[in-house]
Amino acid sequence: MPLVGAGIVWLVSSRGLQAVRTSAATTAVLTLVATGLLILRYLMSDEALSNQVFAMASLPWLTGGIFNIHLSIGLDGLSLWLFGLSALLSLTAIFVSWEAVTERAAGFYMLLLVLEAAMLGVFVARDIILFYVFFEFTLVPLFFLIGIWGHDERRKAALTFFIYTLAGSVVAFLGLMTIVLWNATHTGSITFDIDMLTTGLSAHPLPMDADGGYLQWLVFLALLIGFAIKVPIFPFHTWLPLAHVEAPTGGSVDLAGVLLKIGIYGFLRFSMPMLPEATAVAAPWLFAVGAFGIIYGALVALVQQDLKRLIAYSSVSHMGYVVMGLFALEPVAIEGANLQLINHGLSSAGLFAMVGMLYERFHTRSIQSLGGIAKKAPWLTTLFMLFTFSSIGLPGLNGFVGEFLILTGSFQRAWTGVSPNFQQSYLIFSLMGVFGVVLGAWYMLWAVERVFFGNSRLPPSYSINGAQNSLDLRWHEIAAISPLAIFILWIGITPAIFLAPPSQSIRVMTYASSNAFNRNMQPTKSFFGTEMITEKNKINSHIDLPEIFLTSQKQSPVKQ
Amino acid sequence: MTTSFETFLLLSPEITLFLAALIAYLAAAFSGFQAGWLIAVTGLGIAISLSGSQPESGATISSGPITIDGFSFYIRLLTYTAGLMLALVQSGDYWKAAVQDNDAEERRRVTGEEAGTFLILLVGLSLVGLANDLVLFFIGLELVSIPTYILLALKRTDAAGQEASLKYFFLSLVASALFLYSVVCLYGLGGSTSLPAIGNQLQSLGCTVAPISAGSITVGTITISMAAVLLPVTLGMAFAGAAFRMAAVPMHFYAPDVYEGTSTSNTALLSTLPKIAGVVMLSRLIALAIPPVGSPQNSGPVAETLLLQSWQVIAILAAITMTVGNCMALLQNNLRRLFACSSIAHAGYLLVGLAALAAAATDRRGPLGGESIEETALSLNGLGSTLFYLATYVVATIGFFGGLTYLGHRWPEWSTSSDKQPQLEEIKTVDDLNGLSSTNPIAAFCLATFLLSLMGIPPLAGFWGKLSLVTSSLSVDSGIAVFGDRKAWFIGLSVVLVLNAAIAAAYYLRLITAMYFKSTDKGVQADGGLSSGLAMIACLIVLVSISIRPQGLFNSALQAGNTLSGTLVTETMALFTTNTSTTSNMLIREEIENGIR
Repeated sequence: MPLVGAGIVWLVSSRGLQAVRTSAATTAVLTLVATGLLILRYLMSDEALSNQVFAMASLPWLTGGIFNIHLSIGLDGLSLWLFGLSALLSLTAIFVSWEAVTERAAGFYMLLLVLEAAMLGVFVARDIILFYVFFEFTLVPLFFLIGIWGHDERRKAALTFFIYTLAGSVVAFLGLMTIVLWNATHTGSITFDIDMLTTGLSAHPLPMDADGGYLQWLVFLALLIGFAIKVPIFPFHTWLPLAHVEAPTGGSVDLAGVLLKIGIYGFLRFSMPMLPEATAVAAPWLFAVGAFGIIYGALVALVQQDLKRLIAYSSVSHMGYVVMGLFALEPVAIEGANLQLINHGLSSAGLFAMVGMLYERFHTRSIQSLGGIAKKAPWLTTLFMLFTFSSIGLPGLNGFVGEFLILTGSFQRAWTGVSPNFQQSYLIFSLMGVFGVVLGAWYMLWAVERVFFGNSRLPPSYSINGAQNSLDLRWHEIAAISPLAIFILWIGITPAIFLAPPSQSIRVMTYASSNAFNRNMQPTKSFFGTEMITEKNKINSHIDLPEIFLTSQKQSPVKQ
Repeated sequence: MTTSFETFLLLSPEITLFLAALIAYLAAAFSGFQAGWLIAVTGLGIAISLSGSQPESGATISSGPITIDGFSFYIRLLTYTAGLMLALVQSGDYWKAAVQDNDAEERRRVTGEEAGTFLILLVGLSLVGLANDLVLFFIGLELVSIPTYILLALKRTDAAGQEASLKYFFLSLVASALFLYSVVCLYGLGGSTSLPAIGNQLQSLGCTVAPISAGSITVGTITISMAAVLLPVTLGMAFAGAAFRMAAVPMHFYAPDVYEGTSTSNTALLSTLPKIAGVVMLSRLIALAIPPVGSPQNSGPVAETLLLQSWQVIAILAAITMTVGNCMALLQNNLRRLFACSSIAHAGYLLVGLAALAAAATDRRGPLGGESIEETALSLNGLGSTLFYLATYVVATIGFFGGLTYLGHRWPEWSTSSDKQPQLEEIKTVDDLNGLSSTNPIAAFCLATFLLSLMGIPPLAGFWGKLSLVTSSLSVDSGIAVFGDRKAWFIGLSVVLVLNAAIAAAYYLRLITAMYFKSTDKGVQADGGLSSGLAMIACLIVLVSISIRPQGLFNSALQAGNTLSGTLVTETMALFTTNTSTTSNMLIREEIENGIR
């Protein structure tokens, strides 16, 4: 649908800016409505209860020889909200660019819509090659968005972004193909269908030992490289600040909001269910890396002078939480991580959008040269505060729910789920996560304080822009960010609605990994004589869930 | 070797082209007929329509020294389609010359001869694909080489052009001589010039000799030990000849100089047609050691050795070629030099599939693998994927050079109101492409698409090509990897391939960056002639349709590959499209879910 929209934008491109903008926005709105309806239908359908894939469509694409590639798409609980988020943020991206992009506007909106199509495609793809096609294709529109409409260093940023990510994803591609071939050899059926591969691999796992050439390890590493660069996980994050700072606002919104999630989605979709043993062994390390990422991102953010760069590093920090939650391999934490994906998508996209607005008004993003905006633009400040609070995890807003669940899960893992040798380090890393929350509040609030409050230190360009009526939000800016604000409040108040649908499929996805992890930690039970891991815990770990999730799980499909 | 009427019938496309070439020559010589390229395009159109449809992988029509099977059909059609595009590109050159030079009369005559020569080149290439006999094979190769020299020399008359054509001439002679030597050795081994006969001989060589005592005789006077000596020589010489045509390491060094020294349209020709010839040479050679489709018989130790040695050599060369080509390309600033290096890299990618072909063939028949047919049938045919990749590469490359030819020259400055005609500059370096997206958006879009396809970005055609290459390489022994075993070799090869794809992205993106992210004060003349623009658009359409629906071309390539590699595609399909284990998969899934509840 966005592709059709892109075609329309191209057709009307001769009619001038207004026609282009309007048609792009209309397309995005229509897509969003369609997406919303699809999500509602999913929630009300039987598939939501039984965790089946919904809205499945499948056409053969390339078959013959060893290929059995289908154009198959479908939604399940895991992809549900990310799918919606993509549609929502694309609308935001179009609205924030309303005034900012006037040069070669048709191309810009076309690329935004193409990007939207690719992002939506990633989350609905049920075929491993189709997933990869969309996964890589997101690079192309974003490359042009950064390179043409970006800021001063845009060429370098675009090239770095493209090559870095491409190098990672081609390696991941090898991993994916190995999975397919292994499955084909051992089940005798050539399939590229993700679900069938998952089941096939759980029946015939890739070998972990030397006899099997450490194949599972190799595949896991290949996927890790690809997804870790995309996320980005701490040591691979260097492309991110550059790309974010140089990207136009619309690009940043999509980049931060959706593209960073694709890596995590890849872990959940491929690494965890398909390579459980390797995941289980690697989990403590990645848990630690996540914790380091939190602290590192926060500390670097603390010293930034550029507001956009600060938010970019805060993304690194937040992605650290998600990674930590993911590799705690505790259902609560993983659900939290999944929710945190949405949260971060909303809050960081909102923050990037608003920094873009500030830049339009004052032509600077430097924290030092701004100040006292609150008096001139109260609404802008209010919304910025909202996104800030969401980002630092204030109770009542969405960020809190996600971080709380992640940390709960991590501590739960640290106290009851690991062998004593690991316990101490797990505790330390979980505490690092807590400390990261404090740091997060520090750098965000400090920056807000300097930019919005205090003496009015508006830069000279203010007077030029001052010719406009007001410094406060304009209608298209409200249209861009108010949906985000609404969802931030909504998730903060009733998280159960958002937690319940993915819960079941997350469990199915990560069951094998947590199980393997628990098994790895098992031998210490006899070693210490205490019942570290009960039998119940091992097989049926959701007993530990807070009551709210169990009830919501039963109720929510009925409620909606 | 009877030559019957049937042979002529089978060769009708080639004969048509040859006649067209003659008409073009005569018309140019006697009546000064301008439109030599028109004749060429018409002839190609007729030739393509005469080619008929692709035979099944098992079916082979042989008559005298030629054979028409799935493979030769594919090569023929690829040649003619590429030829059609190239003819359009080349005639663009003529238009440009006609616009620029005052001596139009002279140019016209040359053009007629160019068109004729070009058609003969195509006939030669098609004969290489069709040849069932070593002699015809070699004649075909020479029919490719000699017109190439003429075209190179005709196009540019300055010192650089002459240097390029002379360099190509001498090196090509050496390469032909080396290949001729391997032809002789093959004759010595096989005792015949007919390829199937040599193949049979090679496969049975050693099988009939149960006790290998003192140099036992298998056929004629050839002993096993002598075969052991001859085989590496044959392979080495043949590889050298093929590597020259494909511009693969170690015969790659001429490419940048020659490409730079000739015209843009000739670069398009040089980077595509000889590559097709090289691929045919290697695949026919490897196929000698593979029993034909459906044959129950295994090949003997000599054939096994041939396969073993060839996949090892090709795999190593492929890795080196890719890396060398891409790393050299990173340093280039001249567009044609850059594309010379990138064509070296692409030769490396093509070799990957051939290595997989040879290895998979060993696996199936020989004492090395010893696995059941079911398991090895899983491996994607390497030759099929090479042929598929070749087609996607050819389309994108011709399209790119068509675009460059179309753009032709640029103004020194964007708006000159001075009196005298500004001196036009030929588009030569990467910087000359600066700001193309604003001066000529359509061409910029087309060029960017071709570049992205060469880069292998999904869902463009180049991606499908690379996908099939990687798959065929990974699927050699798609069981357990043991280090030091050849599975590890091929995993390594795949890793090298994909990393090279990432390296290649760096320099292709430089071009896109120049076109889209940089601005310029120079305008584009776009004087390369409408027909090359047409070729560019046509290539774009073909490329996009392959991207969206790769199935048709892929099937055709696979069928062509299976003809030579002796795999019955139908068997494989029947075995694996039925998802036998769907139900068991579902059961497992349910079990997991129950476990969670």
